[in-house]
Formats: sequence, C-alpha cells, structure tokens
Amino acid sequence: MKFFMFHLMPYPHLPEDFDERESAWVTLSNSNYDPTIGTGLYNRYLDELEYAEQLGFDGICVNEHHQNAYGTMPSPNLMAAALVRRTEKLQIAIVGNGLPLRDHPLRVAEEVAMLDVISGGRIISGFVRGIGDEYFSMSIDPSTSRERYSEAHDLIIKAWTTEGPFRWIGKHYRLNYVNVWPRPLQQPHPPIWIPAFGSTETMSWAAERHYTYLSVFAPSKLLKRWFDGYRAGANAAGYEAPRDKIGILLPIYVAETDKEAHDQGRQYVTWLYHKGLKHKFEHLFPPGYMTDHSWGRFLQSGLGAYSDVSYEDLVKQGYAVVGSPATVRERLAELAEELGFGLVNALLHIGDMPHDHTIRNMELFAREVMPHFRAQSAAA
Amino acid sequence: MSGQNDQHVVRHLDLGGGQIHLMRAGAGEELLFLHPAAGAGFWLPFHDLLAERFDVISPDHPGFGESDRLEWIDGMEDLVYFYLDLLEELELESVHVVGASLGGWLGAELAVHQPSKVRSLVMVDPIGLDLPAHPVEDIFAMNPDELRAALFVDQQLALQFISPEPDLDMLMRAFKEKTSFARLAWNPFCCNPKLHLRLHRVTAPTLVLWGSDDRLVPLAHGEHYRDLIAGARLEIIEDCGHAPLLEQPDRTVAAIGRFHDELAPDAEERAR
Repeated sequence: MKFFMFHLMPYPHLPEDFDERESAWVTLSNSNYDPTIGTGLYNRYLDELEYAEQLGFDGICVNEHHQNAYGTMPSPNLMAAALVRRTEKLQIAIVGNGLPLRDHPLRVAEEVAMLDVISGGRIISGFVRGIGDEYFSMSIDPSTSRERYSEAHDLIIKAWTTEGPFRWIGKHYRLNYVNVWPRPLQQPHPPIWIPAFGSTETMSWAAERHYTYLSVFAPSKLLKRWFDGYRAGANAAGYEAPRDKIGILLPIYVAETDKEAHDQGRQYVTWLYHKGLKHKFEHLFPPGYMTDHSWGRFLQSGLGAYSDVSYEDLVKQGYAVVGSPATVRERLAELAEELGFGLVNALLHIGDMPHDHTIRNMELFAREVMPHFRAQSAAA
Repeated sequence: MSGQNDQHVVRHLDLGGGQIHLMRAGAGEELLFLHPAAGAGFWLPFHDLLAERFDVISPDHPGFGESDRLEWIDGMEDLVYFYLDLLEELELESVHVVGASLGGWLGAELAVHQPSKVRSLVMVDPIGLDLPAHPVEDIFAMNPDELRAALFVDQQLALQFISPEPDLDMLMRAFKEKTSFARLAWNPFCCNPKLHLRLHRVTAPTLVLWGSDDRLVPLAHGEHYRDLIAGARLEIIEDCGHAPLLEQPDRTVAAIGRFHDELAPDAEERAR
C-alpha cells in the first residue's frame, strides 16, 4: 500500500452567518479572506506537507480550486514549486491541473515539465476538469468542458512525448509551434493520475491509458462501483488493473482513543462536508458539464448534498475514517478489502483542524497505521 | 376562430444532421416564431392567438424541446445559418418573425445577416446586446424558486411553467435545453458584443415589446434595440415579467396585431 498526504489548504475562518449563505464557492465574498491570516495559513500548511517526508510518506498531494474557502490553491503548480525545493524524496502529486479552465494547455505542459526537471523526476501529473462551480468562477462554458479536457490532455501528452516543433490544429487549441522546453525528466512523461467522480466515460478512458484512477469524496458503496468500473475498463483493454493504480481520497483522523478522535474529529469532518463542500446545486452541476446520459444516471442515483449527510452517517458510509490507531487500521483494512485500492491519499488536515492536531494526526497515522499495511504488502 | 386551434401540424425535418421538430398552424402570411431558452416543444395559447392571423411556423431550435442537438452549433452565428437553411428548406422567401428572449436575439441576428428574409421583426424581451452597465441576471445560476421570481410577476402562474416537483423527464429536458443555451450564451454572456455595430443593417419594420416588470433583462436593452434599429418602436406590456407571451398572451398578441395593422397600409403604399 502506498500512502500520500493530501492537503486542501482551506480557509477556515468563515463569517458567523455562514450557515445562511448559499455556498462556500462562487458567491462567498473574498472580503471574508484576510491575507494576514493567509500568510500564516499557507506557511503552516506547507510545513505540514513538508513534515510528511520525515514521517515516511510516499508522497504529498496538492490540488487546484478557484474562488472559494474550501481549498485555497488556485495554482497547484505554485504550491508544488514551493514544496519541490524543501523536500528530497517525496513524490509530489498535482491532482490536478484543471485543464479546461486554462486558455493555454502548453502552460501546464511547461510548468509540470519544469517541476519534474527541478525535482529530479518526483512529479505526478494529475489532470482534472475542475468542478462545476469553477465554470462560473472562470466563465468557461461548461458544455465544452469534456472536449477541452480531452483535447488539452492529448496536446500535453504529445508535447511531452514528441519531438518539436510540431503543429497542433484542434477545435479549441490551434498552435503553429509546439516545442515545449524543458522536456520532462521522467520518460515518457510523469505518471498521470485522474481524480474522477464516477463518470463511466472517465473510468474506461483512464483504464485504457493505464492511468491511476482516484476517487473523490463519496460513500464506499459508490466507490465500489467506480473502482469496479475502472477494473472492467482495464479488463476490456486487455489487462488486470493493479491495486496501486486505484487510489482512494479519504479524510482520516487518528487520536489516542476512539472517544477523543470523535470528540475532536466531528467538528473537522463536519466543517469539510457541511461548510467547505457547501455548494449551490446549480453551481455544482452547470449545463453540459456532464453528458445527458451521466446527468440522468446522477438524478436516478438519488445522491444528495454532502451537507445533508450527518456526521454519524459520514463515518458509517465511509466518507471519513475517525478513531484510535487500532480502529483506523481495522476500518482501513476493511475498506481496502471491500474496494481493492492500493493507494491512499490521506486527507490528514481536515476542515478547521488546528496545527497541533494535524501534526499528531500525521504522526499517529504514520507510526501506528501505515506500517501495518506496508508489512502486509511486503509479505504479500 | 375559436382560439383553441389544437390542429397544429407536427413535422420532423431532417436538417443539418439531425431531426428538427416543427409545429405549424393557421393561415395567412408566414410567421416564424423563435422560442426562448426554455420550454420549447409545446404549442401554447399564444401560438393559437398568433395563428388566428398568421401561418405560424414554430420550430424547436436544435438542442431544444424535441429537436436533436447538432454538434456543429456552438454559437449564435451557427444558429443563424441553421435558420437560413431552414427557411430554404421550407421554401420561404421571407417571413414575419416573432422572437422571445433568446429567440428575440436570434431574430435580430437573422435580420442583420439576411435583411431581405425578415419581413417584419417583433422582439419580446430580447437578450443579445452587450450592455455592461445593465447586466442580465445570471439565469444559469438560478434555482427554480429564483427563476420563477425572475421570470414572472404572477407567482401562481409561474408554478405552471416551472414546476416545484419536476419529474425525471422534465429535469432531463431542462438540462438538455440549458446545455444548448450555454453553447450560445455562456461566454460572452447572453450577448453578441458586435451586435450593436450591425443592427443598422436591419431593414424590417421592428417592434420591441417589454414586460413592465422584467427582472431578468433590464429595460435598457429594449431601449437600445429601439434606438439602434431604424424606425423601431418600444412598447411596454403591463403587469408582466420577462415572458409576456406566457404571462400576458392576449395583451402581447394584441400589441403584435396593432403593429401589423399599421404595417398593412405601408405595404399597400409600397405596392402602389
């Protein structure tokens, strides 16, 4: 089992009347953001990610979100750049660059290649579409999201793997000289990770390309379906999906005892799902962001808003794992057995968790949970 | 005329690479009705009222109502060329045009591209102009309650058009129409920033109608259309929101009727 520490870098200081606001995204005014507090937060969060190296994690994850309180990394490549020079062994997973939100995909090809070269080949390149809200925040037509994503992806991979200059004539991007300097160090290119939200198209698309498939926040019974879909996609492509290409994103909070973990963790997990992930429905699902088919499937799935799921159900249904080291080991083993993942992106800073709890959470997880699974994979 | 002309004919045209749903009824001069961004595919009371005087041709735009989405249509200009093809397909030299909201914008664009095809133009609360000082509300971000409040004065009536308990079919259809609308109007938002430079090309007699309480598109848009199209007139429909043809069909069609009454002698004049 591989372990990455995921961070969202939220801005936890929401206005007092936040529960009456429609969302933590798009319309939550940035007058609520205090840059002085931000200086402390960014540096603290970066410290936490850097500490993962000492604790023996395989890697760390940064990601991209725009104009919200949930995650304050509009440029994940900037965060990766800050981390590359402060770490030596960790892989740094950018999960990912929001391709359709960029006007110029070659900026992604260039920046990720720079990071890969500077880091000596420690970069993992994730590609995402960005969430629905971001199509409002960036005024990108969501109905073009899938085709922009697909074309930008093809262009970036070609730019990394084909000698330039070459010409690219696509629907959304038309370039006479594609000739990206630097080329990435890892060959043919950095590993690609694809975070996804259950779209059947994405499962087989990722499997066909042997990309790592990552889940996002959802109940475990749904994750089972997604991972099965990815495995089926791999089978259809003529191979068996290895466990370490299936990754789960999981908020995890470990404390000395179950009681302590829940007493403290309830607030953090609730902040994440009920505040940070509070969306206006119309923002989260803009027109054309999904195919008509996927939209129909989504409507029929009856999947409600995160904010409608109680803390107890969040824990019970596998949205988060909270408990003593023994409980967390047990629950993680159970989930791994049920879902068949071999990669854990552990969200060890959750919501409004303070620094000391984050550090203790990371230490307990690294010392009392991770070794159990490493021994297991070594034995296997 | 009974006013209850349920005898409209439905056709499915093969055009542009897909099937286009088209409804038609009435007798007289041909009138092309261009629907707004939502609710296509239904023959409504205002259609009947218009059909008392005109041969009303009411297609669902590609990707709306029961018409297929055509992948090549991803902007207003494409839709204009689609409609020019449609007029040829129907062997219509020129038509009277009535367009509402998105359809009003489309009508103006048609009259800009091919002035000779548009015999007269009625725009009802049209979007389409780029007026940064008078922004159109973000209809894409509205939930059903907000939509009802933005579109209608009469909130009881609004419930008939925007259901509080939509079924799966209605949700699927709304998503399809919003997706097609996004391709025309997400960015630039609900406008063609060049349109104001081109409206001088419109030669059709033009009437702009505006709901007195349109909370979606400010009246300034109507005033600008009036000022930019030679000879155009602006008339207000009282007690009415963004959708006069739904909320005040009698008054709205009566206003269209008066406009055509005034046109008729002109036409005789010109014929002489």
